[in-house]
Amino acid sequence: MHFLGVDIGSLYTKLLIIDYDFKVLYSDIFKTLARNNKRDDILSKLIKEYIIDYSCSTGYGRKLMKSADIVKTELYCASAGVTQLAPFEKTIIDIGGEDIKLLKSAANAKVIDFYMNSKCAAGTGAFITEVAERAELDVADMSRLAANSKSIKELNSFCTVFAKTEIMKWIFDDTSDEDLAKGIYISIANRIQKIPADNSLPVFLIGGVAHYHPYLKDILEEKFNIKVTIPENPQLINAFGAACIARNSFVNK
Amino acid sequence: MYEINASKELKHIMKNYFSDLKNNSKPVAWCTSVGPAELLRSFGFEVYFPENHGALLGATRKAMDTIPLASKIGYPSDICSYLTADIGSHIQKSTPLLKHYGLESPPRPDLIVYNTNQCREVQDWFSYFGNQFNCPVSGIVPPRHLDVVKQADIDNVSSQFKALIPECERISKNKFDIDKFRHSLRLSKEATFLWKKVLETSKNSPAPISFFDATIHMGPIVVLRGTETALDYYKILLSELEKNVVSKTGFLKKESSRIYWEGMPIWGRLRFLSELFAQHNSAVVASTYCNSWIFDDFDERNPFESSALAYTTIFINRSEKAKLITLKNLIKDFRIDGVIFHEAKTCFNNSNSRFGMPGKLKDETGVETLIIEGDLCDLRFFSEEQSTIKIETLLEQISSS
Repeated sequence: MHFLGVDIGSLYTKLLIIDYDFKVLYSDIFKTLARNNKRDDILSKLIKEYIIDYSCSTGYGRKLMKSADIVKTELYCASAGVTQLAPFEKTIIDIGGEDIKLLKSAANAKVIDFYMNSKCAAGTGAFITEVAERAELDVADMSRLAANSKSIKELNSFCTVFAKTEIMKWIFDDTSDEDLAKGIYISIANRIQKIPADNSLPVFLIGGVAHYHPYLKDILEEKFNIKVTIPENPQLINAFGAACIARNSFVNK
Repeated sequence: MYEINASKELKHIMKNYFSDLKNNSKPVAWCTSVGPAELLRSFGFEVYFPENHGALLGATRKAMDTIPLASKIGYPSDICSYLTADIGSHIQKSTPLLKHYGLESPPRPDLIVYNTNQCREVQDWFSYFGNQFNCPVSGIVPPRHLDVVKQADIDNVSSQFKALIPECERISKNKFDIDKFRHSLRLSKEATFLWKKVLETSKNSPAPISFFDATIHMGPIVVLRGTETALDYYKILLSELEKNVVSKTGFLKKESSRIYWEGMPIWGRLRFLSELFAQHNSAVVASTYCNSWIFDDFDERNPFESSALAYTTIFINRSEKAKLITLKNLIKDFRIDGVIFHEAKTCFNNSNSRFGMPGKLKDETGVETLIIEGDLCDLRFFSEEQSTIKIETLLEQISSS
C-alpha cells in the first residue's frame, strides 16, 4: 500500500510517499511557480509508478491538486507529521516562506491551539531573504556566520522594509557579517517570542527556514531557555504529515 | 438553493425608507445606530443613521476609494473605517445610496445626535458633519465598560435623554409629547422582541437564518426601529423562518458544525465568508453583532429610565466580565462548537479578542476559538488566504474533537 502527501507551499512543493508502515519510499522538492506544469506531470507519473492508494494535499496550493482524496491545512499536517515521530504533547513552530505558524499539538495529533501571522510576514523566509540580500550575505552561509558571533545586537523593526533600512545603518557602522547574520536571527526569535505558547512543552522547529537556517534552533534555545528539536528533513514534515493522514484515513475508512 | 422570501419585502421597505428621507418635508435627525431613535421619532423627525451608510460603503467596497480622502484631511486610516469611509464619501460627493436608493447624498441633517455607548469615535465623526452642515450636535455620554448598570447610571443617562428635549422641540417645532415617546418605544420594543425571535430560530438545526443573512435582514431594526413598518416586517420574516424550522429547511442541508461570530461583520467579504463556511457544511448561526439590537428593557411605562437602561446595558458598553457571561449564555443556547473573534483593526471597541477573552471562553466552555484579523470596511486589513487557512484549521479542530 502506498500513500502520497503533497505540500504545495508558497515557494516550494514537497512530495512524499510512504508505505503502510510509514516508511518513506520517495520524496521530492521543487519550486512551486504557479505557471509551470511540472507538478502535475510529476504527480501523474508517481501515481502510476507507485500505485497510490490514497493521497492528501496541503499547503497554500492545497486545492490545486484535483486528484487528492483529502485536503487538509498545513497546521493539521504539521501536527500529524511531527506526532508520528514524537507521539506526545508538544509545541511546533513552522517557519515557511511567507508565514509563521505556532501550534500546540496533542499526543494524538489534534491541534489544541494555533497561531498564524496574517497581517505581516516579518520573521518568515521571505523576511530573511530580503534582509540578507541588503546585508549582502549568502543565505546558505548565514548559520555558519551567526554561530561565530558573540553579539546580542538585534533588529528592532518588524517591518521588512524598515529592517532593511536598519541593516544599512549596521553596515555603515562596520558591523561584521557574523553579527549581521546573528542580528537577523535574533529578530526572528523576537517575533516568535511574542506568540503565546506553552513553554513547558518540548519544541519542534520545522519548515524550510529550519532546514536552511539551523542556527535558529540555537538562538531559540538560548533566548527562551528551552530544548528545541529540528527533525530530519524539516521541510518535508508537512508532506509527511499529509501522507500519514492519507494512510490513516484509508486504513480507518 | 435556500432563499428567504421575505428578502423581497425587505428591499421594498428599505427603498421606501430612503425615498421618504429624500422626498418628505419633515426635519431630519442623524442618530447613532444604538442611539435615542425613539425619542427623536416622537418629535416627528425622520431618522437617518450614518453607520448604515458606513456599512453600505463597506459592502459595496466603495469605502476603499473614500477612506484615503478622509486620511488626507487628518482622519487616518487606522481609526474607525465607518468614520473615514463616510467622511471620505462626503468629500468625494459620491455615495452608493444613489445606485441603490436614488439618493444623491445622505439627507441634510437638521439635528445630529450621538450616543457614545458604543465608542467615542461617533462623537468626532458626527461633530465633523455638524461643522460641515452648520447643524447642532447633541450627545449622550453614558458611563462605559460596566459590570452592572446601577440606578445611578440609569439616572445619569435618563437625565441626559431629558436634556435633549429643548433642542428637539426647537428644531422640530413640536412640543414633547410623552405619549408619542411611549408609542415609539412600544413599537421599538415589539420589533426588537420579534427580531430576537427571528435570531432564535437558528437555535434549531438546520438553522433557517445565518449570521450573514441576518446582517442584511437587520436593516429595519436599525433604521426603522420605533415604526409600524419594522414591526410588520419582522412578523413576516419570523413567520417564514418558523415554517422553515417546522419543515426542517435550513440554509445548509447538513450542519457539521455551528459557529458564533464575535465582532463586526467584514462587510466587503460577507459572500466570500458565507461560501467558505458553507463549503465545509459549517453553519454560522449566531453573533454578538446581530444580537446588539435586542432591547428587552424598553418599557413604555418608564420611557426615559427604560431607554437609559436599554441603551446602557448593550454588550459593547459592558466590562469584559459582563461580556463573557453574555457570550457563554449564547454559546450554550445556540449549541455552538466554535467562536470566530473578528479583530477589526479600526474598531477597537467592538473587537473583543484583545484582553484574553478567546482563551477564557475556551477554558470555561470547551468551545474552540479563533481570532481572525480584518476590518468592517477597510479590506487592506483582511488577508483572504491566511484567514481561510485559519478558519479551515478551526473547522478541522472541531471535526477532530
